[in-house]
Amino acid sequence: MAEEYVIEMRHITKVFPGIIANDDITLTLKKGEIHALLGENGAGKSTLMSVLFGLYQPEIGEIYRDGKKVIINDPNDATRLGIGMVHQHFKLVECFSILDNIILGSEDSKLGFIQRKLAREKVEKLSSQYGLTVNLDDIVSDVTVGMQQRTEILKMLYRDNEILIFDEPTAVLTPQEIDELMAIMRNLKNEGKSILFISHKLNEIMAISDRCTVLRKGKYIGTVETCKTTKEELSSMMVGRNVKFEVDKDEAKPQETVLEIENMSVINKVHKKKAVNNVSLKVRRGEIVCIAGIDGNGQTEFVHALTGLEKLESGKIILNGEDITEKNIRYRNTHGFSHIPEDRHKHGLILDYTLEQNLVLQRYFEPKFQNHGFIKFEEVRDYANRLIEEYDIRSGQGPVTLARSMSGGNQQKAIVAREMDREHKLLIAVQPTRGLDVGAIEDIHSKIIRMRDNGDAILLISLELDEVMNLSDKIYVMYEGEIVGVFNPKEIEVQELGLYMAGAKRMSMEEIENAK
Amino acid sequence: MLNKISSFFKKIWSFFKNNNSLLSSIISIGVGLVFGLIIMIIISFFTEDASIFDAFAGVGRLIIGPFSSGSARSLLSNFGDVIFYSVPLIMTGLSVAIAYKTGLFNIGAAGQYVMGTIGCLLVALYLPTTNRFSGILVWLLAFLAGAALGAIWGMIPGILKALFNINEVIICIMTNWIAANICTWLFTNCTSIISKENTKSAFLMKAYAAGNYTPKLGLDKIFNGSYIDMGIFLAIAIAIVIFIILNKTTFGYELKACGSNREASRYAGLNEKKNIILSMAIAGALAGMGACFYYLNSTEFKYSSQYASLPAYGFNGIASAFLANCHPIGIIFSSIFIRWINNGGEFLTGVGFNRYIADIVVAVIIYLAGFTRFVSELIVKYRKRKEKEVSRIDGKVIEYNPVKDGPKQEEPVDEKDKEPNPEAKEEVTSNG
Repeated sequence: MAEEYVIEMRHITKVFPGIIANDDITLTLKKGEIHALLGENGAGKSTLMSVLFGLYQPEIGEIYRDGKKVIINDPNDATRLGIGMVHQHFKLVECFSILDNIILGSEDSKLGFIQRKLAREKVEKLSSQYGLTVNLDDIVSDVTVGMQQRTEILKMLYRDNEILIFDEPTAVLTPQEIDELMAIMRNLKNEGKSILFISHKLNEIMAISDRCTVLRKGKYIGTVETCKTTKEELSSMMVGRNVKFEVDKDEAKPQETVLEIENMSVINKVHKKKAVNNVSLKVRRGEIVCIAGIDGNGQTEFVHALTGLEKLESGKIILNGEDITEKNIRYRNTHGFSHIPEDRHKHGLILDYTLEQNLVLQRYFEPKFQNHGFIKFEEVRDYANRLIEEYDIRSGQGPVTLARSMSGGNQQKAIVAREMDREHKLLIAVQPTRGLDVGAIEDIHSKIIRMRDNGDAILLISLELDEVMNLSDKIYVMYEGEIVGVFNPKEIEVQELGLYMAGAKRMSMEEIENAK
Repeated sequence: MLNKISSFFKKIWSFFKNNNSLLSSIISIGVGLVFGLIIMIIISFFTEDASIFDAFAGVGRLIIGPFSSGSARSLLSNFGDVIFYSVPLIMTGLSVAIAYKTGLFNIGAAGQYVMGTIGCLLVALYLPTTNRFSGILVWLLAFLAGAALGAIWGMIPGILKALFNINEVIICIMTNWIAANICTWLFTNCTSIISKENTKSAFLMKAYAAGNYTPKLGLDKIFNGSYIDMGIFLAIAIAIVIFIILNKTTFGYELKACGSNREASRYAGLNEKKNIILSMAIAGALAGMGACFYYLNSTEFKYSSQYASLPAYGFNGIASAFLANCHPIGIIFSSIFIRWINNGGEFLTGVGFNRYIADIVVAVIIYLAGFTRFVSELIVKYRKRKEKEVSRIDGKVIEYNPVKDGPKQEEPVDEKDKEPNPEAKEEVTSNG
């Protein structure tokens, strides 16, 4: 073999009950290369990386490190071989500080006491070297997702890993953070580290990777040099058909107001600061209103207050002319709210419940699904099967699959299916396509547009600028809990929007009032 | 005919083999017995009364339980007593289990049981009856009073947990002792209804009421003068009702949802505070009923107590619930098993171990039996490893077996939740 590979995975086959997750897959990684792994949800990308990281053992296949055959039984073996991984769902101890999380598992100690000072110096050096800004003393549960991810990257660097696996690293980041991450990855590459990068975002793959391996439904489709291919080619390799990137939609025909928020302010529970400050907005039937902003600028608190998960400090929520500020969550949900939550594991799903039980989470009390308090199991099963069919939710055992054992993308599809299918007047969608592949995103976007055309009001909260620009009929930009601008997506450039999101520009009160 | 029988046994065998939680319960019991044996062997070196052979004989007596008694007459009455004494245990086990399904650890079953004792005894003793019909009415009243007091006592930690998020374990421990002291104070002062014979540190109450007892349905005749009454049937019925509530109703759906993800339950509009309080109230009522089944027995009201002490039933309920993996129907069997071992323990004196040693051995067995969940994780791990070896040798793909392989893992999912599923845990730690 002419070329030197740092990692070679040959003919990997991994079988799970009911599904062949990896079917004879070969993947090679050169030194100092960024290698993208592309595929739909459930194509087997994460499984393949888990095999490399020692979380799963393949049924067939061999792994070579620097040309030598290795057996990776667990993550400790992987670490010894210099393989590090940032998981899609971070593996951080929520109640530990960032520094403690970074050193956890490889603490330097003296007489049993952790040498935090040495560790801190090393981490600070790494963080300035690669531009990974973190507040080392913050508790993980208090910081943004972006910072949690930087913590995970620092964890790998702290262990001097040579091969870095990123499992969908950009799924949770803001555009600016994505740019930062790209710069960090290029930095790492220049330092001679090899990167495996799982994604289904074609733009990123085109921008950063050197080669790209495509998987589809557990099968190996091919490996291409990124500079010699196009987005369209990659997407058809991934999905097996051609995908449209632009969303077709007609002009919105807004009708009467469905939701009106007046001067809402919310206090953050942890920091006791005003997370949402005096926000007013309107959503009308037949329009998609989007709140754009960088992660951590009050969107989460705003949605929680709107849906009843948190209390308002001041202000009013009016739904169809009725003041529901003091109403409980069930009342809001049964009187027109549908809510696709931001955090699918914390709020969206009960992971120990089966798929069908999760699909009726908002409806089990309806007469359709219960009779004098007894659940109608057949109705539930039929309903679940219909949603599974309609929304293409893939799982090992159909309606009785445990939600915990489903892939992230399919968990998201289940939540979207549940919330979209319910009777509702207003859909509050927070990052509805988070972690989904292009095929599924296309599908959900067109469903949202169809709902709008059928007269639903839609409030979209998204960090993805493409999504914001493609879908919305009106964009509110939120910065540090305040609305700093209101735009028509046709009249503004993405770069301009970015300035508002970053707080560099803001509209005056009159301008905002006029734009509404 | 022979074929039918053998296929029947094969079915039973495969049921046992494929039911991880049942298998793990049985293995836990086995481990417990081995530990009991080891303890008895060690003790036999230090005591003159028992030899090493007696240790083996002792384990034998524990296993055969009431059959240790020898004569058929006493065997029957012993057997009846095992059933009778297991009834309160079933109830406290159910109490622990239903709270656990809602994500709460009800260590307060003992206190709720004591409150049940107060409720049922005061009513039964205040209303002496002369004929059977009014006896049944008073019995019902006393039963309800016990259940209600238990429910109130369970609600206290529930309310504090739901409204102020105070750890229910701490509150339960405190309410346990409050209940024990209330009980002692009441029964030492109600001299008008309770005749007592004071001894140095304990008092014994005896009161024979005419008819305020649980109907016996002739069971005492079948079981040769045992305490047994229809309580066992009621307990089984209640266990079935709890099973139905948990698995077939929207209420059970809500309880379990709150137990496994409180935030998601809130998101779905469930009133998680209400569910916590209700779950604890039901748990309390069940423990209170346990006391009623015990004290409202026809033979005598045999309330005997150290000053301000807590009944073992409350804590054994935890073992009973976890031995059965918190399955309501399983709790019936695990409770009977625990009483069975206890009964066998009484016969250990026959082979030279004194009462206290017998208690230690029995306690060790019971509490090791509570390691069911741990054992079930081990089983899953073992099966996966074995399967891995086989697949590597054959070099081919194995067919899928839903029971054996457990839920599918398509891609790694979040494991940061409080209770990682055994499979997920296993992947990270295997071959460590």
